This record gives sequence, C-alpha cells and structure tokens, in this order.
Amino acid sequence: MTRALPGTAPKAGGAPGRRTVERVPRRRSRGVTAHSLAGMLFVLPFFLVVVAFLVVPLGFALYLSFFTKSLVLGSRFSGLDGYLRAFTDPLLLDGFLRVLLFGVVQIPVMLGIALAGALALDAITTRFAMLYRLFAFMPYAVPAVIGALMWGFLYSRTFGPFSGVTSLFGGDPVDFFSGPLLLVSLGNVVTWAWTGYNTIVMHSALQGVPREMYEAAVIDGASPVQIALRVKVPAIRQAISLAAIFTVIGTMQFFTEPQIMARFAPQISAGYTPNLYAYNQAFAYSNFNYSATISFTLGFVVFVVAYAFVFVSRRRGARS
Amino acid sequence: MTAAVRVRSRRFGEPNPRVPHVVMAAGMLYFLVPLLWVLIAATKSQPDLLSSPALWFGRGFALFDNIGQLFREDDGIYGRWLVNTALYSGASAVGATVLAAFAGYGLARFSFWGKRFFETALLGMIMVPATALVLPTYLILSRLGIVNTVWAVILPSLLSPFGAYLVRVYVTESVPVELIDAARVDRASELRIFWQIVVPMIRPAIVTVFLFTLVATWNNYFLPLVMLSDADLYPLTVGLTTWFNTAQQEAGTRVLFNLVVTGALLAIVPLVIAFVLLQRFWRGGVGAGALK
Amino acid sequence: MLTAGCLLAVAACSGGDGASEGTGTDGKPAHVSVWAWYPEFKGVVDAFNASHTDVQIDWTNVGTGPDQYAKLKTAFTAGTGAPDVAMVEFQEIPTFVILEALVDMGQYGANDDKDLYAEWAWSQATDGEKVYAIPVDGGPMALMYRKDLFDRFQIPVPRTWAEYADAAVRIKAADPGAYIASFGSDGGWINGLMWQAGCRPYGYSRAAAKEKVKINLTSPECKKVFDLHGGLVEKGLMAKDPFFTADATAALDSGKYWTWAAAGWTPGYVAGSLKNTAGKWAVAPMPQWTAGADDQGDWGGSTFTVTKQAKNPKAATEVARELFGSSKAAWDVGLNKAFLYPLVKNVAADPAFTGKAYDFFAGQKVNEIFVPVSEKLGEFQYTPFQDFVFGDLNDRSAEAMAGSRSWGSVLEETQKNVVAYAQQQGFTVTQ
Repeated sequence: MTRALPGTAPKAGGAPGRRTVERVPRRRSRGVTAHSLAGMLFVLPFFLVVVAFLVVPLGFALYLSFFTKSLVLGSRFSGLDGYLRAFTDPLLLDGFLRVLLFGVVQIPVMLGIALAGALALDAITTRFAMLYRLFAFMPYAVPAVIGALMWGFLYSRTFGPFSGVTSLFGGDPVDFFSGPLLLVSLGNVVTWAWTGYNTIVMHSALQGVPREMYEAAVIDGASPVQIALRVKVPAIRQAISLAAIFTVIGTMQFFTEPQIMARFAPQISAGYTPNLYAYNQAFAYSNFNYSATISFTLGFVVFVVAYAFVFVSRRRGARS
Repeated sequence: MTAAVRVRSRRFGEPNPRVPHVVMAAGMLYFLVPLLWVLIAATKSQPDLLSSPALWFGRGFALFDNIGQLFREDDGIYGRWLVNTALYSGASAVGATVLAAFAGYGLARFSFWGKRFFETALLGMIMVPATALVLPTYLILSRLGIVNTVWAVILPSLLSPFGAYLVRVYVTESVPVELIDAARVDRASELRIFWQIVVPMIRPAIVTVFLFTLVATWNNYFLPLVMLSDADLYPLTVGLTTWFNTAQQEAGTRVLFNLVVTGALLAIVPLVIAFVLLQRFWRGGVGAGALK
Repeated sequence: MLTAGCLLAVAACSGGDGASEGTGTDGKPAHVSVWAWYPEFKGVVDAFNASHTDVQIDWTNVGTGPDQYAKLKTAFTAGTGAPDVAMVEFQEIPTFVILEALVDMGQYGANDDKDLYAEWAWSQATDGEKVYAIPVDGGPMALMYRKDLFDRFQIPVPRTWAEYADAAVRIKAADPGAYIASFGSDGGWINGLMWQAGCRPYGYSRAAAKEKVKINLTSPECKKVFDLHGGLVEKGLMAKDPFFTADATAALDSGKYWTWAAAGWTPGYVAGSLKNTAGKWAVAPMPQWTAGADDQGDWGGSTFTVTKQAKNPKAATEVARELFGSSKAAWDVGLNKAFLYPLVKNVAADPAFTGKAYDFFAGQKVNEIFVPVSEKLGEFQYTPFQDFVFGDLNDRSAEAMAGSRSWGSVLEETQKNVVAYAQQQGFTVTQ
C-alpha cells in the first residue's frame, strides 16, 4: 500500500493511515539518561494529574468500600462485606440487568445506524457531504442534561409532537414514560445524541481506507453493497471496535438521562441503573461507603468487560 | 449495471447515487427535529409554550423577550453561568490538551523506565468510569478545602487519558523519527523540537483533543453538580437544571419554562459554532484513535 | 442572589467559611449563610437585613428539595461546606438529626417560641426540649375541585372517600377523557393521605432511644388509602401522571383532572399557571373515611435549621427564629408573593389571611378551610431515613401503576424493604 513516506506529514484533512511501522528509538549509545529524562519530563505533568485525579480517588474509593457506616453504629471496618452485599443486592442486580438489556439492544442498533450513515456519507462526494457531517455532529454538542430535558418536552403527552400520532388513528396518546416503552424512550435519547458522533468517527476511518482496495473489488465485479460489506467494513473494523468499546463504557455508566427523566417518569426508581443507585446511596441515603463499593464494583465490571472486548477484537484482528 | 459502468461513475463502489442521500436525509430529519423544536420553542412565551403546536410557532414571537428576560432573571445569573462554562471548559480543554500532547509525544518517541507499563495502564485508564471518580474526588478535595471553587471543576477535568492515547497514536504514525533525529543532530533542545517540529505536524490530533475535552467539560453535569454549591459558580448544565426544577416547584410564582428552553438554545450555539469553524481540523483527528 | 461585592470577597460568601465571626465583637455585623429555595425569598432576606444591624444574611439557593439535601449530606460527610442555616422540610428533620448535623437551638432560648407555632409543627421540629428546627410553612390538605363541572353534571362534592369513588365513576361517564385526579407519585402527597386516614406508620425519638424506630406500614388505616386509590387507578378512573410536570399542569388546566387533594400552599402554586380554568375551581374539606368525622392530613412544609458547621450558632439561631417568625415584612412577602401557608398561629389567624378572597377560586375565602385543618392536625412522626421510605414507596407504587405489582402488595413490600434497611443501619425495629 502507498503510505506517506517517512518525512511527509499526512495532510491536515485526512486521517493518518495505520500501517506505518512504529519505531521507538533506542539509542543507548548517546546519552541514555538525557533521552529518557526528557521523555519522563514530557509525561510527568500528565502523570501527576493521573495520580491526583485517578489513582488516588480510586484508592480512596477502595479504602472506603472496606468500611460500613450505619446510622446507629457509625463507621466500622467490614472488609469485603460491602461487596458481598453488592453482589446480592436485588436492586443493584436489577439495575445491572436493565442496563445490560438496554445495551444489548441499543448499542447494536445505534452502531448499525451509524455504520449505515458512514457508508452512505462515504458514497456522497458533493458539497452535501459537509453539510450532512455537520448536522450529524450537532446532537453531540448538546449537553446530555439539555438533551434529556428537551426529549422530556418532546415526549410530553399534552404538547409533544409525537404522542398524538396514535390519536390520528383514534387511539390514546402514547405514554413514552410508562411500561416497556420507557427503556425505548431512554434508548432513543442516547441514540439521538451519539449516532452522529459515531457516524463521523467511522466515516473518518473510511476516508483513510486506500482507494486501491475498492478498485480490485470493482474489477472483480462486486456490487456496491458487497464492496461496502466485504471491503469497507472489514477495513474499518478497528474504528468500529473502538466506537463499540466507548459505547459499552458509556452505557455501563448510564446516569444523566435517567436522572433527569425521573422527573417525568416515576417508574425510574432509585436503582434504575447501577450508577444512579450509587448516586442515590451517597447523596440521598448518605451511604457513602456503600456507594463507593457500588462505584468500585461497577468500575471493575466496566474495566473487565472493556478489556475483554479489546482482547477479543485484537485476537480477531490478528487472525484475519 | 455492468462493472464497466460502475467504474465510470465518479467514485468506485458508488451505489445508486440517490440511496446515500435518502439515508442521510432520514438521518438529518432525526437529528434536526429536536433541535428545530428548541429553536421554535425559544420563540414562544410560557403560555404559548404549553398550548401551541410543538413544531410550529405560537401566537407571538417572543425570542428576544425571552433572551432579555433570560439575562435579567436572578440578577442576570445566566450570563455568569455562560462565562463560568466558557471558563471551565476553556481552561480544562487547554490544560488537558497540553498535558495530553506532551505525554502522547513522550510516550511515542522516547523510551524510559516504566513506559511500557504506563502505556498499558493508559488503555485501562480510558475505561475507568468517570462518574466513579467524582465522589472520592469530592471527599479528597473537600479535605483540601477547594470544593465549591473553580478549581474543583477545572483540575479533575484536566485528566484525559484518551487525549494522551490519541496523540500517542497520531505521533507514532505521522511524525517520522528521522526528522526528530535530524533536529537533535542540529542541537535543537527537546522542547524546541516539540514546539517547532512536532506540534505543527500533529495539529489535527491537538485540535481534536481540544474540542473533545472542551465538549466534555462544557457538557459535564455530574462533576459540577457534586463540587459546587454556590449558584454563582454553576456552569450552564447545573444552572439550567436548577431552573427547571424550580420551574416545576414554583409554577405559580415564576415563569421559567420558556427561560429553560431559551437558555438551552443559547447553551448549544457556541459549541456548534466552534465545531463549524474548526471542522477542517477535527475531521482529521477523530479517526486517529482506532485501537492498535 | 449574591451581589457583585460578594464575589470579590469570596470568603465572606462561600458557605460556612469565614462567616459569622461573632455578634458585634468588633462592631461589624455577624454574617450568616443561609440555604433556602422558597420562592420570592430575596424580599424576605432583604427585610431581615434591613431590620437587623448585628446579623446579616448571605442567601444561596443551591437547589430544590432533594438537590439541596444531597449537597448538605455531602457537606456533612466532608466536614466542611455546609451553610450556617438551612431550609429543611419536616420529614427530613430526624434524618439530619441522626446525621449529627443540626444544632439544638434550645440552648439559645428557642423553646420560648413554642407557643408561637402550630402544635403539630412544633412537635415535628423538636425532640423533647431539644429544638432542631423552627417551623415556617405547612400544607394542611383540602380538596380542590372543578366547581363548574361538578355543578354542570350535578355531581355532589364528595364528603367521604366512598362518595369520592362514586364521583370518579360519574366523572368518567360525563367525560371519558377525564379523571377525578391523578395518582401523583409524590412521597409527601401519599403521606398526607395516609396521615389523614389515621395511619401512623413511623415513630422515632433520638432523645428517647437512638437505635429504636417504629415502622408499621401495613395497618388497616394505611392499607385503605392504597386500596382506594389503587383501585381507582386500576379501573382507569384515576390517572397516573406525576405531579409538578408541565403535563400535569396542562392536565389540570384542560379539564382532564376534576379534583386535586391539595395543600395550603396550592392556591399560590396553581393560581399563576392555570390560566384557562381560573375562577372555575373551588376548595372543599377533605373527604372523610367515616361520615361526619373531621380527620385531617398535611402535605409538605418546611423549617429553618442551624447546622453543626455554623461558626456562630447563636447568631444563626437568631436568623432561624426571626427570618420569618413574627416578622410582618417577611410574611408580607411570604403570604402575598410566595403563597406560603403560615405555621405561625397568629399570622394564620389574622383576618387578613383567613378573609382573603381568591379570584382563582371565584372569590372563595379558601383559607377559612385550610386554617381549621392545620389546627386539627395531630401528632405525626417520621423515620430518620425518610428519603429511603418515600423512595421505596414511590418505586413500589410505580410498579403497581405499571402493572408489574398488585396494589395490595405495595405497602407490604415497602414494609419489608424498609425494615431490612433499618436493621442493616443498626436499628431495632418495632411495629
């Protein structure tokens, strides 16, 4: 494949290809200490922030999780009891299953739409492409809080534009906040906010796929759809994996939308999602220790799931 | 259609040229209708907001009244929220970008003790749920006496493992080792090499990290919600939510729903403008983070 | 809101820190920070500051209800960041007491105010001789109804809950799109209905026994409330929309709901927002469980507390007692702009209040109904973890509304969950 030769920078508009061989200089002959010291100094400020705002808080959360504080007895060391409680807490497990169900449906739907959008965008060469890209990105610029409030109004039964659709056919207005529809309504808010973002990420990756790869397929007589599925999609598999991982991480932390929408939807309980449960434990019930336990458990689960995902997608990437 | 015809079309692998447009048009409708609603709703007075059709204009055109009222309500606190939000996100984005650029370059082009471990850990750091950190960070910062100050929002926002990761990938792929070596032979200092050679070459990555951290802080709700209790320090997200809750609480005594909607509109506009203006740059960066 | 000068001198304004350096020791007034979310509160603060030279208030609105409590609880956990004086609703008082967050104002003479306030309110604000809160406003309940529609369809205004259920059927017959009311998923509202039914599910006295709490949600008095309302919801006669949303407001204003079991603060709440139906509403006493009885309940109400983080608890107590207290200027704002229901007895009894005619209620003097209700209210206690109780009760009710739980099991399930929670927190639970 043709890649920018060493010494030529990729043009500003295009994504850099990902095939350049990584070459970390190992020049022990010339001033090992000066070189490594410079490297350390470059990383040091970031490292300090990581220690102060990631390592220390995580350590503190872990420490807190080993204590139990009760209203009557005060704080006492309880070892792993908190974790035992978390893993057997029906409310937490309920919330966890709900988020799992949510993710299993919402993530593929959203990424599927985003991929279709990216492929469509890739096939558009007119000036419209820029306009589409811009509009697709706009929901991402809307704070989740505002997005949730906005959809709260849009879902409204009395003055939202959507719930009345069924009354055109003589039915009752749709209640977007009740029953099984609630999870769908929440999923729509998330999908609305993040599909465009993922479309842009995938499209950006598609732009980096060398044209030569299509040429061969076209000469082989492949249809556009075949090319999209057999050439383009595999070529950007890593970008898709990355989008999927970030979506999984985001979904596991699901918080803002249900917290805001709880004002419209009484069905959103204190333990609707694990993160909401952790928030309520801390800020409504003053159980900071148990909240830390839940947060830590949640963080650990996210970590494991995400790492497993990376591992699997790398293995698959290596095989093909 | 034969293969030959297809080859003649403007780009390889192009299907019926209308299909992509139909797909995108459907997407646009989905993305824009809610935003259109905000735009229209912001032109309505409170009674109109609650009574007129959602996606069409009300009896009057109250946009400018709403904006005026927005900046007068509570002694003009909305203006403060806007300034705060700009300050928090601007400072966090600049700081996080600088840190990420330094670190990403350091990891990509230097070797030193502990580097491998740190790189592996970096991937893990990306996966730590940010919300899990907020509560312990609050308890720590309160012991240091800096909760309910601007620092309580800005300092934790400087953490951007993904930014460092993205810069590292970008440097690896687009900054040739030979170029840096040549500069070293010329006795240029490492800092000068970074500023004069590396930074211009990784500009798309830097703009991307800047924009992403800007958006992340601009849109952040949980961190300032927990850290701040002085309304004069709130960013827009927390301030508008407070107003929304107050609107529900005080339906009879204060008119706020129209202000929440107008305030939401004005909170979105600056970011959209930033994205439009910097489009050339961020487009190059977003694709760079694919996992290796 | 805080003024510009306050921003320059940040220390003087940030909660707790640097505030209240002692009354007049150096000739300067003590500054007391206050968190409150009353509507129109600025006028009340201004009135206080204008009439006091030794103490001045720095007021912040950090959020409504749960939002403010969340901030208070984090501040108490962290050990800093709480204000000197905080607005706290009645049901939250025992919670903050057990968190060791509140100052006993009795040591600064607050017991002198006992006779000033409605008896039920004083009893909820205190624990024996310990004064943890100074009452401000309350929410004696009464039934708001659409007089024009009840008249037109000749439906008698219900005097008992049985008649209420009958009225629900007749309302549905008159207008299939209408409901007698909505089951609002509001912990305080359901609590008010339970209170009125003679249900006394909770008991707690920190002073008597820190670890003992009474929880009995399954008594017949409590269950009949859920049986009645749950039954109406199941039959489709009562709507399921939460209160205080724009939807609920629109529903009240469009004839979708014909009644609302409302509180003393409701006239002010609805008057500004229900434009279409203004003048068509009236207030009647709450329907009774036993014909001819006079049992009443309360929905909402709040107090001022002094926090343990107050630098100058004496000055803070002065603020808590006198912010409203007997201040005519404060109640002027409180009654006429913020529409609070006063728990100060002589303010409530003032003909200016009881005799006030409301255009929204077609000239009816509704306070003539609310004031006797407040006087009739008896003892009602809360748990020191009422957020959990209300939260669980709401979540279980929501399940019943969604059809995933029977209404009959709501209270039993909540009882089970609350008892488990209490025991987990180290309490000994009695029924």
